[in-house]
Amino acid sequence: MKKNKKNKSIVNKKISRRDVIKSIGYLAIGALASPALIRSAHAANPIKVGVISPLSGAWTVYGKAHIAGFELAVDEINAKGGVLGRKMELVIGDSKTEPRIVVEQANRLIRNEKVDFLAGTFSSAERNAAGPVVKALDKVLLYPTFYEGQEKEYHPGVCNKNIFMFGPEPTQQVWPHMEYMMNKFGKKFFMIGSDYAWPRVTNMVTKRKLKELGGSVVGEVYIPFGTPQYESVLRDIRKAKPDIIFHSLTGSDTVNFRQQFAAAGMKEDFALWTVDDEEVVTTGLGPKVSGNDYVSFDYFMSIKHPNNAKFLKNFRKKFGQDALMNTVGVAMYNAAHMAALAIEKAGKLDTASLRENLKGISFNDAPQGPVTMRKDDNQIIVPSYLMQVNPSWTNVGNMFNEVQSFQKVVPLAARCSLPL
Amino acid sequence: MEFIGISIDVFLITSTLALAAFGLAIIYGLIGVINMGHGAMLTLGAYLTWYFMSLNIPFFLCIIFSGIGVALVGIALEHFIIRKFYDRPFDTLLLTWAFFLITTEVIKIIFGTDFKNIEAPIAGAFEVFGVNIPAYRFLVCLFTIFLITISNIIFLKTDLGIKIRALIQNKEVAGLMGLDINLTYKAVFCFGSFMAGIAGGLIAPMLSIDPYMGNIYLVRSFFVVIVGGVGHLLSGTVIGSFLIGGTETLFAIFSDQVVSQASVFLLAIVLLRLRPNGIMNKKDV
Repeated sequence: MKKNKKNKSIVNKKISRRDVIKSIGYLAIGALASPALIRSAHAANPIKVGVISPLSGAWTVYGKAHIAGFELAVDEINAKGGVLGRKMELVIGDSKTEPRIVVEQANRLIRNEKVDFLAGTFSSAERNAAGPVVKALDKVLLYPTFYEGQEKEYHPGVCNKNIFMFGPEPTQQVWPHMEYMMNKFGKKFFMIGSDYAWPRVTNMVTKRKLKELGGSVVGEVYIPFGTPQYESVLRDIRKAKPDIIFHSLTGSDTVNFRQQFAAAGMKEDFALWTVDDEEVVTTGLGPKVSGNDYVSFDYFMSIKHPNNAKFLKNFRKKFGQDALMNTVGVAMYNAAHMAALAIEKAGKLDTASLRENLKGISFNDAPQGPVTMRKDDNQIIVPSYLMQVNPSWTNVGNMFNEVQSFQKVVPLAARCSLPL
Repeated sequence: MEFIGISIDVFLITSTLALAAFGLAIIYGLIGVINMGHGAMLTLGAYLTWYFMSLNIPFFLCIIFSGIGVALVGIALEHFIIRKFYDRPFDTLLLTWAFFLITTEVIKIIFGTDFKNIEAPIAGAFEVFGVNIPAYRFLVCLFTIFLITISNIIFLKTDLGIKIRALIQNKEVAGLMGLDINLTYKAVFCFGSFMAGIAGGLIAPMLSIDPYMGNIYLVRSFFVVIVGGVGHLLSGTVIGSFLIGGTETLFAIFSDQVVSQASVFLLAIVLLRLRPNGIMNKKDV
């Protein structure tokens, strides 16, 4: 019995010759393979961008141009060798036009897919939903859509140091053209918009300038999503006798309203100025319904700038001659390029350095002309165009006639605690 | 003057609602299938109409073709799936919702996701007491009245109508008396889908055509059918539409859109509490 215990207590393993040869073999293979291992790991490590887009649900119609802009930019960036030697790769999340799904997708993209930064969301409601997520998980969100401006009470959907705004806000999209419209048509505004953050705050900001210029609001109506019949609204408009109908409806409601507005013969009596209906919607309306109405954005397919000609050529080569592009798609395009420039400038990729280097960056090849991201409040400085719809348009090429434009409109400082 | 304007608006809204809900009144009202795909049928009708219009076929023929198209889809749906679920209405809810999802995605694949546009075949408006009524709108309303009247005649005065009513009242006895139950169910489902297709096509010039357009009328159609009374094809649909459409219009005069649309829900709850079988409160047709 003593003998057994002694045998068990000491583990006496001798190193055999076989073991030595095996380990030398492994070391050799490892040494030979390691440069290849390290190199391929580095090269195969793309920059992952999470793109959240409304590919289904009520705003499916907007999803295509939204993603197309970003995809085109990524193709161009990768064709030049990528950023810091790494290719950019899209990971797409469908928001289904629902803010709560945006939260899910943002979490999934950041936590599971481990994206480096996010781009997209479309509506202000979606962006406001993503706000807390990008704040908590500390990732940058590049937001493309024209929106209502940054007011402190909507933090962290706005006034969020991680969210960069690549679309214009009302002091750029609306204010520069108000004097012209009021001088031409009159001072009474009837405001009609969808019932959520963007139209409400846009109207609030517009009213500030309206008061300054001596105008008045004779009606303000907010329409819940999915309203098919507009008889009562049309009746209200007739009663109020406005000079200008200031329109911020969105989705299919805008088409429903404008169709019924035109069918009731009201186009002759009132001027309509929309801040929502870009190429996609106007195509859906047809020339009879959309003719002679006014639209204002920072970008139109028909603007004459050498950058735009080049951009549209590449865009159509990739997506077809009939593909539609709009201010949001172009903002996604600009966002991708500006993020790439910022990462190159920083020499590395992490949220803090991306944030610091996006501030103040300029992009000279933007389709609408050179644009700059303002330092203090993450707001982009873009041109502002007022267009009138050609009553006999046949395609996007002859859809809009320029009424007036400003190459660079500096917006009001964001109403947050600055700098962000 | 304003009263006349409001009455005209109510008339237009009621008829449009009745038209949109009619297909559901047939499918849900008569044979108890909770058709959550009703919106998809309207959408499909609109897209088919757009497609036929792009082939330069005259508008009213397009409408009929789309009706036939949706009826064919309806027959397929009924034959392969719904047929086995007539005594399990809540399962039909899920099945028809799946139909909606699949149809919408197929529409997106075939037609793309852009807005499509159909111009009203009759342009212009005429003025009645200071209110501009679009000519096309008015014609659609007249057509709706005609449609519902014809359907009612078929339902009450013809052989087919008697068969359908027998089927609804007592399925087993009707079968014993020699009625071909399966065929009658198919005929009704086919007719309901046909109506939904026609409605989608007729409404298309008044609305934006996108893959989800029909769903605007989905919940409203259910309200119309339930408030009007399940099974009362003519009276129920018309009175239901009048109550739903009228309430919305009336409340919109005094308050904003959110309140007026919410008041429709409130009205439906109150009415159903007082009259569980619908406003007519009769059990039979």
